Amino acid sequence: MSGFETYLLSRAEKGDAHTLDGYKALGGYATLERALKDMSPEEVTAVVKDSGLRGRGGAGFPTGLKWTFMPDPEKDKRRRYLAINADESEPGTCKDRVIMDDDPHGMLEGILLACYAMRCEAAYIYVRGEYRHQYERTEQAVKDAYAAGIIGKDIFGSGFDCEVYMHKGAGAYICGEETGLMESLEGKRGHPRPKPPFPAGFGLWGQPTTVNNVETLFNVPFIVEKGAEWYRSMGTEKSPGNILIGISGSVNKPGVFEAPLGISARTLLESEDFAGGVWKGRKLKAWFTGGSSCGMVPASTIDTPMDHDSMMEIGSMLGTAAMIIIDDSQCVVRASEVVARFYDHESCGQCSQCREGTQWLHQIFRRIENGQGRLEDIDMLTAIASGMAPGKTICALSDAAAIPTNQVVKHFRDELEEHVRAKGCAINGTGACAHGHSADNQELEAQA
Amino acid sequence: MTKIILNGREIEADPDKPLIAACHDNGQEVPHYCYHPGLSPEGSCRICQVEVTEGGRPPRLAVACRTPVSEGMEVNTEAEVAHEARRECLEFLLKNHPLDCPICDKAGECTLQDYSFDEGQAAARTVEPRRKLEKRKDLGDVIVLDQERCILCSRCVRFQEEVTQKPELIVAGLAAKSYITTFADRPMTGKYQGNLADICPVGALTLKEFRFQARVWNLEKHQSTCAECSRGCSISAEVLRRKDVKRIRPMYNEDVNKWWMCDIGRFSFEHLNDPERLVGGLMAYGTDLMAATAPEAIEAAAKVLRGQKPTVIASPFMTQEEGRALLALCAELGVEAKVLQPASNGEADDLLHTGDPCPNARGMADLGFGKLAPADAAKAIADADIALLAGERVLSLMSEHPFGSTKLVTLDTHASLAAGVEVCIAAPFHVEKNGTWINVDGIEGKLRTARQAPDGVHALEDTLADLQVALTGAQV
Repeated sequence: MSGFETYLLSRAEKGDAHTLDGYKALGGYATLERALKDMSPEEVTAVVKDSGLRGRGGAGFPTGLKWTFMPDPEKDKRRRYLAINADESEPGTCKDRVIMDDDPHGMLEGILLACYAMRCEAAYIYVRGEYRHQYERTEQAVKDAYAAGIIGKDIFGSGFDCEVYMHKGAGAYICGEETGLMESLEGKRGHPRPKPPFPAGFGLWGQPTTVNNVETLFNVPFIVEKGAEWYRSMGTEKSPGNILIGISGSVNKPGVFEAPLGISARTLLESEDFAGGVWKGRKLKAWFTGGSSCGMVPASTIDTPMDHDSMMEIGSMLGTAAMIIIDDSQCVVRASEVVARFYDHESCGQCSQCREGTQWLHQIFRRIENGQGRLEDIDMLTAIASGMAPGKTICALSDAAAIPTNQVVKHFRDELEEHVRAKGCAINGTGACAHGHSADNQELEAQA
Repeated sequence: MTKIILNGREIEADPDKPLIAACHDNGQEVPHYCYHPGLSPEGSCRICQVEVTEGGRPPRLAVACRTPVSEGMEVNTEAEVAHEARRECLEFLLKNHPLDCPICDKAGECTLQDYSFDEGQAAARTVEPRRKLEKRKDLGDVIVLDQERCILCSRCVRFQEEVTQKPELIVAGLAAKSYITTFADRPMTGKYQGNLADICPVGALTLKEFRFQARVWNLEKHQSTCAECSRGCSISAEVLRRKDVKRIRPMYNEDVNKWWMCDIGRFSFEHLNDPERLVGGLMAYGTDLMAATAPEAIEAAAKVLRGQKPTVIASPFMTQEEGRALLALCAELGVEAKVLQPASNGEADDLLHTGDPCPNARGMADLGFGKLAPADAAKAIADADIALLAGERVLSLMSEHPFGSTKLVTLDTHASLAAGVEVCIAAPFHVEKNGTWINVDGIEGKLRTARQAPDGVHALEDTLADLQVALTGAQV
């Protein structure tokens, strides 16, 4: 890769950074040791705040600011926790997986720095249940770090104590929502909690808690080591730093790539350093900008810079920077049906709008795709979506189902109407969906 | 108290309660399903959306059950956006609802019906097939669950967790396939299950006892007090066509039972509808008993009692008013009355039931009645020449204790079949009385006539007064 500085994947590419020795040989844990000895917790928070680091879990909230929401330890003597959201379940997103696979100590160093900055006495890593290999790698890293005295009591002789616990999720997408995650960690159903109270005031077991994403914390040691100014030299003014971008779908080289925020999406798609162009030389038709929740935008937006604000300008979101590419031989209605099915399956079922709305959207997309759609269904889709979002439910899952629906109706109404008129998928003109998807549907129906 | 502005009117709100409570306390209805004042707020049904303006920020929609009140907050429950949000919410709630109101026991007191009528839309826009789940799932001896009607408000789950503190119900499944069930499909236990049917806002949890018994709009509802223990829970006695008591439900009473009652009290109404009850009176006629009108029976009783010193046993089901009338009669006879005090029924718990099966034990003691266990009472009767047994259930409480062939005058809902019975005079059931009971904590419980006693059954205090008059021979 060229043209910009890389740091996130620099160790991962070396091969043995996942071992403690390999990590230390590359200078690992030196930043933590220096911070514990030379910096106050406030100084760590300050440098993260100054760096402008924004959360990588999807919402893009400034991390340093989030840390300052924790109550003053002098006034509030309760226990304090950090929860690490490694329940990476967004369709299209697979960046945290790379970190846990190849550089778990980098994440641990970030966790310990965050715990030090917020004076958390324990960190809970909530790992997606399907991430078995990643869980094992991270668990080994935690064990090794404990054995080396890097986690536990009196870390590096600084007097700072911190415990790290691992927890395996059981496969529910909703447990990646921060309050759902906390409920799940407490041993309950992963039902998100209404806010307020916010986690910083009333989190895990009612104690002050901050929930951060894996990649967010992974950035922290680099920021503490090299400083806020260095961090701000990358990316854009409002979205500094590099980000891991997962590119999947119809591309020649799907994968996870490191790039500065603000890089053009076209570069990511077409450059040989990244995805290497649309698969089989086909034309781009649509792309998901940051995982399924951000919805599809048409090919005309491919020159948009990949950062939080530019994505907002085209009516989408950066999300977890997971691009899913759809080429011109593929069907956006089918893609919408798959996305709607995902949310129908994953809604926790608490809020009326989300529980019933996600099912309704799925049913309508399925009918349109299978040739039983009506023209009025298309307006019904937006009517349902407007009943579900924005901000009408406890958590954002309802919004996450409504946004892709609104996007597809806004940008691809023609294709929806064609499906209705042709009584089926218009792409191959047979009435049955392209790529034999109807058979998939029947099979999935039978399973359901 | 916090001052807020509710629909343009300044009101005082309790800062410890959510906004919805302030609205309800001030007479402003806000639709709600998952919110119940006796349970922790959940905020999941999303129906209680209102427009809130606070802190100089632009108006926003908020769920009233999870919004704390703040000084100067402006609340508009009737804003266009709020109505629209509630309409949307109702459409979602009805999307999978079976709409079987014509055969649903909840119809008529179902808030899904009420709010749909108030602010829902006239026609459904969904053409999708509705959810198919179990329609009559047996949850134990008391409750039947219709999972299709359920709107997953989770009140029942929270009731078990927070009120009985014995979690037995769970929400299982995910998303639109969620359903309520018992943990590991075990039948429910405990004696507070009936409350689940009260708090269920729709017809999902229904009482086996009440299923298909009556349409609720045919029930006349009257405030009364439960007779089954000395807690004296406030109840609503619900009577079908002025005849049968069909249902007993708790009525909110801040000091006694809040919103709840136990199943012992809830289901003890079969005997109130007993066609074999005594009407008028019975008089000894040779070795037989013959029917009499109430005045005849009173006259006969006066004849038997005149000049005697009977043993007088009072029922602990007597009201204060009846107790006073009995004391006056006893003064006339120159005897002292005792009140029956049966042993604990072993059902005492931490929530409501006291185990003492006498609703007015405290009140009778306050009036000066000494207590007597049924066995001791039987002995006292057996030792006497003549006895007067006064009040509801006094005969059934004594049924296990024979008392020989002592001459008896009884005032009860049923006739006595004992050997020495001279006169039986009909007395009303507690649901037919107007009066006062005093519960174990000294709190008054009102009895209001839920059903008129049949012709020939007079108020017990009147009968006792008539008897006193008859004894003295004075004119009424």
